[in-house]
Amino acid sequence: MLAATKILRGTPLFGRMFGIDQNDGLEEINSWPNLMIVTSFVWLAVAGLIGLSMPLIQRFELDSDLYYLALTAHGAALAFPFGFQLMVGVGLHRNGGCSGKAVTGTLPALIYIFMNVGSALLTVAILMGFSVSLVVMYPLPVVGVETGQWSYSSLVLGFTGIGLVLIMMILLYPIQVLKMSFFGKERDDLTLNKRTLDDPGMLGMVVAALVLLVFGMPLLIVASYVLVSLYGIIPFEAITFFLEPVIFQFAFFVFAHNLMEAMAIMVISAVYGTLPLYLADGTRELYSKKLANLAIWILLITSFSSFLHHFITLFPNMPSALAYHGHIMSWGTGIGSALSIFTILATIWKHGLRMNPGVLTVLMGFALYVLDGSSAIVTSNVAWSFQLHGTMWQSGHTMTVLISMSMLWMGVLYHHYPVMTGRKLDDTLGYWWVGLFTVGAAGAALVMLAGGAAGMPRRHADWAQDGWMIYGDWTLFFGFVMAAGLFVYALNLFKSRWIDDTAFSPSAQPGPAE
Amino acid sequence: MFDALFQSGWGAYAMMLFMLIPFLCIFFYVVIRKSIIDPSPSTADKKSFKKFEYLWMGLVVFVFVTVNVASIQFMPTVITANAAASDENIFDVDVSAVSWSYDISEQTLEVGRPIRFSAKSEDTMHSFAVYHPDGRMLFTMMLMPKMDGPTSLIYTFKDPGTYTVRCLEYCGLSHHDMRDELTLVASN
Ligand SMILES: [Cu+2]
Repeated sequence: MLAATKILRGTPLFGRMFGIDQNDGLEEINSWPNLMIVTSFVWLAVAGLIGLSMPLIQRFELDSDLYYLALTAHGAALAFPFGFQLMVGVGLHRNGGCSGKAVTGTLPALIYIFMNVGSALLTVAILMGFSVSLVVMYPLPVVGVETGQWSYSSLVLGFTGIGLVLIMMILLYPIQVLKMSFFGKERDDLTLNKRTLDDPGMLGMVVAALVLLVFGMPLLIVASYVLVSLYGIIPFEAITFFLEPVIFQFAFFVFAHNLMEAMAIMVISAVYGTLPLYLADGTRELYSKKLANLAIWILLITSFSSFLHHFITLFPNMPSALAYHGHIMSWGTGIGSALSIFTILATIWKHGLRMNPGVLTVLMGFALYVLDGSSAIVTSNVAWSFQLHGTMWQSGHTMTVLISMSMLWMGVLYHHYPVMTGRKLDDTLGYWWVGLFTVGAAGAALVMLAGGAAGMPRRHADWAQDGWMIYGDWTLFFGFVMAAGLFVYALNLFKSRWIDDTAFSPSAQPGPAE
Repeated sequence: MFDALFQSGWGAYAMMLFMLIPFLCIFFYVVIRKSIIDPSPSTADKKSFKKFEYLWMGLVVFVFVTVNVASIQFMPTVITANAAASDENIFDVDVSAVSWSYDISEQTLEVGRPIRFSAKSEDTMHSFAVYHPDGRMLFTMMLMPKMDGPTSLIYTFKDPGTYTVRCLEYCGLSHHDMRDELTLVASN
């Protein structure tokens, strides 16, 4: 029995949702992915509750320090140990089933440990007062120590946690994906649905891994130097170049922005992989593979330098030519998305759709992704950026991009669930989940964007300052709707029933085998 | 006609909806029609799919190009460059930001006269965002410490009144209290 299976067995409540069926012969592609998914949901539960607490802290005018602590904890938990870990879990299972390679050995265990131990250390640091917000806002962590806002030990602990998470995202995970995609023995018993690199459902996965590896490297190097000097191994004076705010900020956003793009590329490729399995006429083919791949390449090419839109308002310290470049590239990603929209709708139009809660989750996640994309390109326009940067618009965008991608993954997960656990879900609960979560997420997004349009600042502990509380109240309302949706999703997983052993085999299943 | 669109956050919101709503209409039409009403395969030939493909992409490119070209004259970068190149009499205001306050060289300013704000941060990331008395954010400037020169912008105010200055880059536990004011008076 694999270590991950043992841990799952011993986990109350959540272990029940993602138990491993040891008789189906798929433990080697299910065990670690399932454990990662379960753990990501634990983080989601915590992060969601913290998220709901934020408008409540403002509403009841509690301590502003508490608000910034919640803000930092909420963002950090949602982006990394929930969002990224969910993606890694579902992604590695998909990769295993598509390439016929096991997800076993030291590397998956290290991925799991680095992600969760790193996130736990960061969380402890935040509880110690390390309220630097999700994006670190360097040099704030250091300035905060100098001005007595938090302790030096919380800074060291927090950066150590971030370091572990970065190593996992930038090195371990991409290596695991590349290893499975290009090396190792292919096993027929693990191959659920063979895919090669010309398949959009596989291409995105490999491209995303490369993006993380390449665009994360500068940050990994900068962060390593900073960490080593925080430990006192080398003096700060020796690394002044890496301590320049502008170096850290640019390295950070090259990574953070491309991390989002990599996740988007991966998730779009998962949509391309999943949608064809639900076509009414059983063709299992996209409208055009070529168009689908073209969209992925356009996303890749336009996205890597569009991170410059984070610094438009730094003018003229960032030359306007670079601002315009970031602006144009951002709208270029819109062209890639327009191609994706066409491919998906043309596929459905051509072949008809076999409706099911899993594919509906994917489609609603995609609609949210387009909502987010339109908000993102608008704020990347140089004229609008100056009026929206630093407002709630940006928080609405960040939240929606994470939520839409998570929703897409949860749809893909819904689809894979029978193969991953040997159990099936209830469709009625499935539809309730999609409905509630879509309304909650879209509502929260539109309210937060509206707050930004009204000038409501993000990461700001005093919404009463200029009548912004109303946006907070509505965000809270839609937050509760989202929470209800997630509760139904969890309930569905918890109540799932075993698929009759005799009826079960990957090939006999209409949908679940990728 | 583009003034309202490009000079407030609500214009941006309208633009977002302008792209989103048609998408949602087409999206739900296709999904509902082809899953609930009639999931049978389409009889349309390849040519008509191609026609829609070009129509859709053409429309997207047209909207993208039109909106962005129209926005050029409203870009603070462009406005600043034009004002700097003209012979207009520019009034200089220097701003220094430190956690959690501003030092602004002149806080009573004239309406109608181009003002060059040059702002620097002394410690961590801050911003210098100016809010119109009606609550709209007019512009924000990101201030990064240890840069060679200041972040700088030329802006000409239209209305007299009390404008609020806020920091919009999270800068620590009293970030929300980092505020100041500008008073705009009619020119004499
Ligand atoms: Cu500040």
